[in-house]
Amino acid sequence: MSAYELGACNQILNSFILLIEGNIDAPAAQSIESHLSACPNCNAEFAHERTMHTLLQDVLRRTCNETAPVDLHDSIYQQIHAQLTGAFTTEVISEFSMTEISIEIDEFGNIEHREVTIEHTEEIRFLDDSSDSDKS
Amino acid sequence: MTSTELVKESAADRAVRFERDALVFTNQLYAAALRYTKNPHDAKDLVQDTYLKAFASFHQFEPGTNLKAWLYRVLTTTFINTYRKDQRRPQISGGEIEDWQLADAASHTSNLGKSAEVEALENLPDSDIKRALLDIPEEFRIAVYLADVEGFSYKEIADIVGVPAGTVMSRLHRGRKQLRERLTEYAKDLGYSVKPSKSSKEETP
Repeated sequence: MSAYELGACNQILNSFILLIEGNIDAPAAQSIESHLSACPNCNAEFAHERTMHTLLQDVLRRTCNETAPVDLHDSIYQQIHAQLTGAFTTEVISEFSMTEISIEIDEFGNIEHREVTIEHTEEIRFLDDSSDSDKS
Repeated sequence: MTSTELVKESAADRAVRFERDALVFTNQLYAAALRYTKNPHDAKDLVQDTYLKAFASFHQFEPGTNLKAWLYRVLTTTFINTYRKDQRRPQISGGEIEDWQLADAASHTSNLGKSAEVEALENLPDSDIKRALLDIPEEFRIAVYLADVEGFSYKEIADIVGVPAGTVMSRLHRGRKQLRERLTEYAKDLGYSVKPSKSSKEETP
């Protein structure tokens, strides 16, 4: 095998993956394919690379196939609903406090002192369209 | 769904859509998170964080585009920003060689080596496959996982990981190569006579 041919083979070998995955333009693919048809070594290597590529994917997919624990599913669901409830709640808390002081002096000089304190607190939660949010 | 309808979509409707379309990937994301974090506890936390972030920004997701890829982007970004923040491990990214095709001299392998390599891969137990995957560097592992388990394209992986497509190709190539080298070593330990496929030159008789 001449140095030129070996160089050509090495270049081709490194491009196999591009051909296998289809990440290559048509002229480049054609040039690889024409080399493969003329070079039995590269042809065998290509077939092997393609087999290994598929096999590795199959093995990885079979292996990396865990199921998430049930409590993970549950906690994701619950956290989403917690966020959702937060989005719906309109909280109106108003505190209101007033003290009215009145001092009156009548014509006889009597002083009348009045203090009226009004305190008002309200807390309102508007739940808008929440009928869907608490299905369980 | 048009964007106008999306604007009008209520939080409740969005949650229903999220639950219907996004939560079906929980198992898949968990399996990926196991490879990212290397342990079940962190994997659970990572998937949970991922879903909370995804739900919070779900209004930004464009319906009709690839939801799985979008979720993987959230997963990967969350992992890189949160779970890896404390690790002061040197990153490969800096000095990555883009022209891996020149850097890596290939060679033909013998037919015997080929069939032994196939046989080894077919017979290795799942535990060895998992171990080999966890054993290769993180950037390579993520690229190989996204390509070979999830079937994402170079371009999609580039978007998910946030690196150029050329870098993805380089990581994939080197990751797969290292993975096969490790699997070959394990196979040897189990008694298969396997020659490393790429790291040794073909011997002339």
